Amino acid sequence: MTNQTKSQFIAVASITSELSAVMVVAKEISLAAANAKAIAFRAGDKAKGFQPITDFINELAKETIELVTNINIYALVLYRLTVDEFQKTTAYNKFELAAKMAEGAAYAKSMQEPVDHARLSMQDCQRQFKRDVSQLLGQLEAVMHHARAARVIAANSRIEASQAGEYLQSLQAVAESVDKAAHTIHDNVQRCRIALSIYRNS
Amino acid sequence: MKMTKIYEGSHQWIMFGRDEGKPANIIDTNQYVVRTPNRCLLLDPGGAELFAPMMAAVLHHAPVDQITDLFASHQDPDVISSLGLWDQALTNAKLHAPAIWEGFLRHYSCESIEYVPISDNGGTIKLESVELQIIPAHYLHSPGNFHVYDPQAKILMTGDVGAAFEAPDAPVFVDNFAAHVEKMRHWHQRMMPSNQAKRVWIERVRNLDIDILAPQHGRMFKGDDVKRFLDWFDALQVGIAV
Repeated sequence: MTNQTKSQFIAVASITSELSAVMVVAKEISLAAANAKAIAFRAGDKAKGFQPITDFINELAKETIELVTNINIYALVLYRLTVDEFQKTTAYNKFELAAKMAEGAAYAKSMQEPVDHARLSMQDCQRQFKRDVSQLLGQLEAVMHHARAARVIAANSRIEASQAGEYLQSLQAVAESVDKAAHTIHDNVQRCRIALSIYRNS
Repeated sequence: MKMTKIYEGSHQWIMFGRDEGKPANIIDTNQYVVRTPNRCLLLDPGGAELFAPMMAAVLHHAPVDQITDLFASHQDPDVISSLGLWDQALTNAKLHAPAIWEGFLRHYSCESIEYVPISDNGGTIKLESVELQIIPAHYLHSPGNFHVYDPQAKILMTGDVGAAFEAPDAPVFVDNFAAHVEKMRHWHQRMMPSNQAKRVWIERVRNLDIDILAPQHGRMFKGDDVKRFLDWFDALQVGIAV
């Protein structure tokens, strides 16, 4: 196995690992939203501005979970494609070697067709991999967008929390947890993008 | 890869082995080819490492599109881990292999090759006018294990039974049975698990008319050495590791 193939396997496997962490954090945001809603309900008029924000946070968390679920399915497809590409590249290399070793054999020429077919299959796989990586990067960008939106919401939440009297601390804690979670999602997804981006144009 | 024609009649048997280019840390294997006018059967085609030299060697005898059949005596990697590569090279081939190993062997990838499962009681492989018999050899050493007998060529391909480990330049036939015994003893005692299975197999193959006994490792036995081997194996206690 070449170093590039090993790196490709690692990159694809690391997406699943990073995204499972994102999933945990997105679920935490969802919980934070439910918690915030309960506090805002108790706070009544003092947290009036906070109430619509909780719905927004919840919606954002749901969408992130949905996106990550889809990306995970896509990452599995990409993993299978990586295995397929590895098998086809191995076959092509072995077929070429067999053709070379068979020079002078009565039926050496009959190896040309399998060699050509293996080369085309390998190239198809490589092109498909690049296409899929580009699409996956697009989906990851969507998650990043959600993470950025969550940080804006967290900033707004802090402002609203400051007007919530005795509920200030509880609501600020909610804002902090949303901000922290958004930060984690951003970092994890960014690592996925860096790991994959070298394959988009390789 | 050394090639030795061991039968020439209406069809041919060719033995391939003693591959000088193989990595030193993998076991040496014998592959056999049965060649009829338009078809070619590879018996225990070998591991993935061996694919290129084996394919190159076969091309001296048959074009790729006439490699129509593969046979795997059992599931070991030195027997058939090249399956995924044959699967991509051959467009119209069948793999004859033990039914119980189908789900296992498919891990090597078997998508274009048709898997023809061999039931426990054996069967036949028809190669144009040649009919080969698939002889049950279960527990020798694999729980699902078969040998191939050609009544016309009088050759019995015996997989791991009769195996020995030799230097790369060793002759392909046993020339001194007494000296050869020590190269086989531990292998058979350690790898063959069942004295009962061994006795049943010996009874079965004693009824066959055999000129050449062709194992997957080491030298082949011919003439009187076939009977010598069966007598020696009959007397040997196997399954010693328990």
